[in-house]
Amino acid sequence: MKISDFIKDRVHTYLAALICLSMSAVFLRAFKAPLTMSLILVTIGVITFLFSELWDFYRKKNFYNTLTSQLDMLDRKYLISELIERPDFYEGGLIYDTLYETNKSMCDRIYQHNKKSKELREYIEMWVHEVKLPVASLQLMMHNHHDELSIKAAEQIRRIDSYTDQVLYYARSEYAEKDYLINEVSLNRAFANTAVKYREDILQNDIELETDGLDVNVMTDSKWLEYIFSQFLANSIKYRSSERQSIINISAENREKSILLIFRDNGIGIPQKDQPHIFDKTFTGENGRVHAKSTGMGLYIVKNLCEKLGHSIEVSSEKNKYTEFRITFPKNDFYRM
Amino acid sequence: MSRIYIVEDDITLRNELKELLENSGYDADALEDFEHSKEKILASDADLLLLDINIPHLNGQMLLREIRKSSDMPVIMVTSRSSESDEVLSMSYGADDYITKPYNPTILLLRISAILKRSQRNDTTLSYMGLNVDPAKGCISNSSTEIVLTKNEMIIFRHMLDNRGNIVTRDELMTELWDNEEFVNDNALTVNISRLRTKLADAGLENVIETRKKQGYILK
Repeated sequence: MKISDFIKDRVHTYLAALICLSMSAVFLRAFKAPLTMSLILVTIGVITFLFSELWDFYRKKNFYNTLTSQLDMLDRKYLISELIERPDFYEGGLIYDTLYETNKSMCDRIYQHNKKSKELREYIEMWVHEVKLPVASLQLMMHNHHDELSIKAAEQIRRIDSYTDQVLYYARSEYAEKDYLINEVSLNRAFANTAVKYREDILQNDIELETDGLDVNVMTDSKWLEYIFSQFLANSIKYRSSERQSIINISAENREKSILLIFRDNGIGIPQKDQPHIFDKTFTGENGRVHAKSTGMGLYIVKNLCEKLGHSIEVSSEKNKYTEFRITFPKNDFYRM
Repeated sequence: MSRIYIVEDDITLRNELKELLENSGYDADALEDFEHSKEKILASDADLLLLDINIPHLNGQMLLREIRKSSDMPVIMVTSRSSESDEVLSMSYGADDYITKPYNPTILLLRISAILKRSQRNDTTLSYMGLNVDPAKGCISNSSTEIVLTKNEMIIFRHMLDNRGNIVTRDELMTELWDNEEFVNDNALTVNISRLRTKLADAGLENVIETRKKQGYILK
C-alpha cells in the first residue's frame, strides 16, 4: 500500500476535517478569540489529526504489504492465511478471519478430493489387476485350443488387454506422484519386449521393422517406456498407408548430453493443422475420425509419462509421407549413483 | 521330463496353465490349497517353481524368501501388478525371472525352458551328432570343417537343439527370434531354415530337420 492509495481512500475524511477546521476558524473569529489562541488551537488540531492518520497508515500498510507480498510468493494461494498474523484493526481482522475460514474449508475440500481420487486410483489399479486374471486365462485357453476361432478371439483379447493397460497408465500418469523407478534400461530390450507383443499384428499387416543403434542404455522406467513403445507401434499399425510397403524405423542417436530416440513410420502422417494438438487429451483429429477409431488418450498418456520421467517428446509429420516421434533421454550421472 | 510346480490361486488360470505345460511336455503339478504352502512346495522337489505374487495367506515375495532359505530351486515370479518395485524386490529375494500377467504363452514357455537349461547345464558349448556348436562364436564345426551361422540361424538351431526330438512350432521360432531383437517375417524364417538345412548338409548332416505340415519342425 502506497501513501497515495491511503490518501485517496481517506479523501472524504480530509474534506470533513477541512470543513471542520475552517468552521472552527470562522467561529473563533466571530467570538473574537485572540489570534495566537486560534493559531495554537488549529495547530494542535492539525498535528493530532496528522499523527492519527500516520499511525493508521503504518499499521494498515504493514498488514496489507505483508498480505500482498506473501500472496505473490505463494505457490498455493489459498494457504495465505497461514502466513499472515491477525491485525489489530477491524477491517483487517475481518479480512483475516474470512481468509482463515475460506482456507480451512478449501483445505477440507481438497483433502476430501485427494482422498477420493486416491481411492479411485487404488480401485482402478485393483480392478486392472483383477481383470488381468480372466484375460490371462483366456489367452492360455486360446493357446491350448488352437483353431481358427481362437486366432480371431486372441486378437480381441489383445485389444481388451491394451485398453486395460490404457486405464492403468492413465491412472498412474494422472494421479501418481512417484510410481516409477528410474533404472538403466536397454532400448533394444524394451523395444523387443513390446514388438513381441505386437508380432502377429505387425506381420499380418506386412510391416517391416528396422532398428538401428538401439544397443544403448537410457535412464527410464522400463514398464513405462514399453507402454510408450506400444502406443507408437499401435498408431503406426493403425495409420499405415496402403499405397506402399509399410516400414517402421526405430533408431537411437548417442549425443553428448542425451540419447535421442527416433521412431519413424511411413504411414499416412498427421495433417499440419492437427499436429499441435495430438498430445491433447481426447483429441482425435482427422485421422482418428476418417481412418481408424481413436480414443485420443494414447498420446496424451505418452506425453504425461514422458513429462513425469523427465524425457522430452516431439513430433514431426508430413501428410501421406511419414510420422516421426523423437524422445530425448537426458544423460544424468546422478541416477547412476 | 522336467517337473514344474504351479502356485496360482485363480483356479481357471491354474488349470489352463497346467494344460499348457503338459501339452508342452512338462510334468505339471499345482498347489491346491494354501495352508503350509512352503512345506508343500519344498516337498514337491520340482525342477522349477511358477510362483504367483498374490496368493492367499502369504505374500509371494515373502514365500520366496522363505523358500530361498532352504532351497535353490529355480523360481519364476508371476504377477499382474506390473510395478517396478515388485520386480526389483522379487529379483532381490532370489527369483530367477519375472513375468507379468497376462503373458504370451509362448514367451512363458521360452522363459521356462531357458531357466531349466541354465540350471541343468553348465557347459557353454553344445554338441550335436559329432558337431561342436559354439553359440558365442556363432559357428558349428566338426574335425574337418567350420561353418559360420548367422545370428538368426544360430537362434533357430539352438532352439531346435534345446527341444531335440520334439516339434518346435513356427510361432515358437518367431517368438524366440523377436525376443532376441531379430524382427523377421515369415518368409525370412523359411529362408533361414532352408539355409540352416544347407549348412548342416555341408557339415555332413543331411535331412536332420524334418518338416511336419501345419505343426512345425523336428530336429532328429
